[in-house]
Amino acid sequence: MPAGSTVLDTILLFRDALYGALVIGVTCAVLGVYVVLRRIVFVGAALAQLSSAGIALSLFLGGYGLTASLGEYPTAVSLVVTLLGAVFFGLGGGRRLISSEASIGVTYAVAAAVGILLVAKASHGEVHDIFLQGNILGITRADTLLLLGVSVPVLLLHRVFYKEFLFVSFDRETARTLGYRVDLWNLVLYFSLGVVIASAMRFAGVLLVFNFLVLPAVTGLLLSRSMGGTIAWAVASAVLAVVIGFSLSVPFDLPSAPAMIAVSGAIAFSAWVVRRIRE
Amino acid sequence: MKVLISFDHATLGYGRKVVLRDLSFEINEGDFLGLVGPNGSGKTTVLRALLGTHPPLSGTVVRAPGLRFGYVPQRDQVDYDYPLTAVDVVLMGRYDRIGLGRRPAPEDRARAMQALEQVGIPELAGQHLKNLSGGQRQRTLIARALVGEPNVLVLDEPTSGMDLVSTTQILGLIRDLHERSGLTVLMVSHALNEVANYVERIALVINEGFRIGPTAEIMTESVLSGIYGIPVEVDAFNGHRMVIARRQHRA
Repeated sequence: MPAGSTVLDTILLFRDALYGALVIGVTCAVLGVYVVLRRIVFVGAALAQLSSAGIALSLFLGGYGLTASLGEYPTAVSLVVTLLGAVFFGLGGGRRLISSEASIGVTYAVAAAVGILLVAKASHGEVHDIFLQGNILGITRADTLLLLGVSVPVLLLHRVFYKEFLFVSFDRETARTLGYRVDLWNLVLYFSLGVVIASAMRFAGVLLVFNFLVLPAVTGLLLSRSMGGTIAWAVASAVLAVVIGFSLSVPFDLPSAPAMIAVSGAIAFSAWVVRRIRE
Repeated sequence: MKVLISFDHATLGYGRKVVLRDLSFEINEGDFLGLVGPNGSGKTTVLRALLGTHPPLSGTVVRAPGLRFGYVPQRDQVDYDYPLTAVDVVLMGRYDRIGLGRRPAPEDRARAMQALEQVGIPELAGQHLKNLSGGQRQRTLIARALVGEPNVLVLDEPTSGMDLVSTTQILGLIRDLHERSGLTVLMVSHALNEVANYVERIALVINEGFRIGPTAEIMTESVLSGIYGIPVEVDAFNGHRMVIARRQHRA
């Protein structure tokens, strides 16, 4: 284990990565509260997987010179694919023909397989694996600014229309009777989720994005009895997971994303213990 | 009497599937109407057409201009795991009045408290939804419907899954709301025996048939035997009407 000053130097060296991870963690934590409350956790996973397949598609096409310019911007292709998925799930996920759970499962499995196949056949596929698994430490200042450019408007949208998103999530039928365009609000919610997932995927990977969409929200719901408190605890736990996970991964030479996920798990477990003691 | 909602030869259904044909009836100001029928008979379809959330396949459903509904959904339609208190839920009934992107003002909170007082649970305002009993949750949802100052209170299966005491209390509360303020009430239920002793008019939706009239007119053996398709008996006990299916003899 390196000395304290060396650890600090290393963390400072990767401070842009730390800032980027914080932006991803905080944004996913806020949206994750709706994901967990609406019981659409696996929609989050399926969208993350779709986003990853979008990156793979961009690399595949770019590698064969089919879309040279798009190959340079895998996030753009990923965004389009993820938003198509978000619209699909936002409009009910084809539930008239098969159950929502089944369509989520199909999307997840097919997107994962297609992503792997496309990367396997892309030129320098093994190099591009990093896009699918994420590369937190590779986040630059420009990437952080890009993440902020996506996250700030999304968080503002959720701040301004908090009560509208809450109402259509909590009781869509009553919201409809009061004149709310429930399908449109749902679509906006899923759309914002898709944008955040697509922008975060390239850096954080499927597992870390999924983690930030679920575990901080679970922690918040275990610790608070109000929506505001739940969101605050979710954000705090995401920040803690990023900072602690990042700081531990450096001296112990661990991969950063799994370290953050492990810390998220430990925080959620602690919250569960606190809740048990409180009740 | 002012007509609030008017069904004129309305055929209701989804896509190509017709659920009920050619409905023509009116709901007037001050009505206390029970929409009764078994599960799957089309009550919810009538309800959605009435609320304007599902248009008729043909014919018209006309609502008086400026009509406001106070809707109380079935209790299992609401997720009680949300970290919300009773007053948080009641406030939702004013969200459309508050306006897009705006926060509830102190006046909205005061009105929410008044609505909780109206349904008899002001002391539970700060209680988490999860900790409320079935009856208390139903009162909270009724308070949410009232806080929007509706012209028509619409309740979907308000006593479903409740014990005898809670059922009696909730039905008594709904009748009081109607009698005290003359509020127009539409109550949807599958339990004819419960509803018949409270409402003034009944609309029966059974076997794709629809019959509406004053309770005394509907609650007769000839009408009910005709619409149910089996012989029934209507008994009175301490002023309470009760419908019982006659025992079928073996052939």
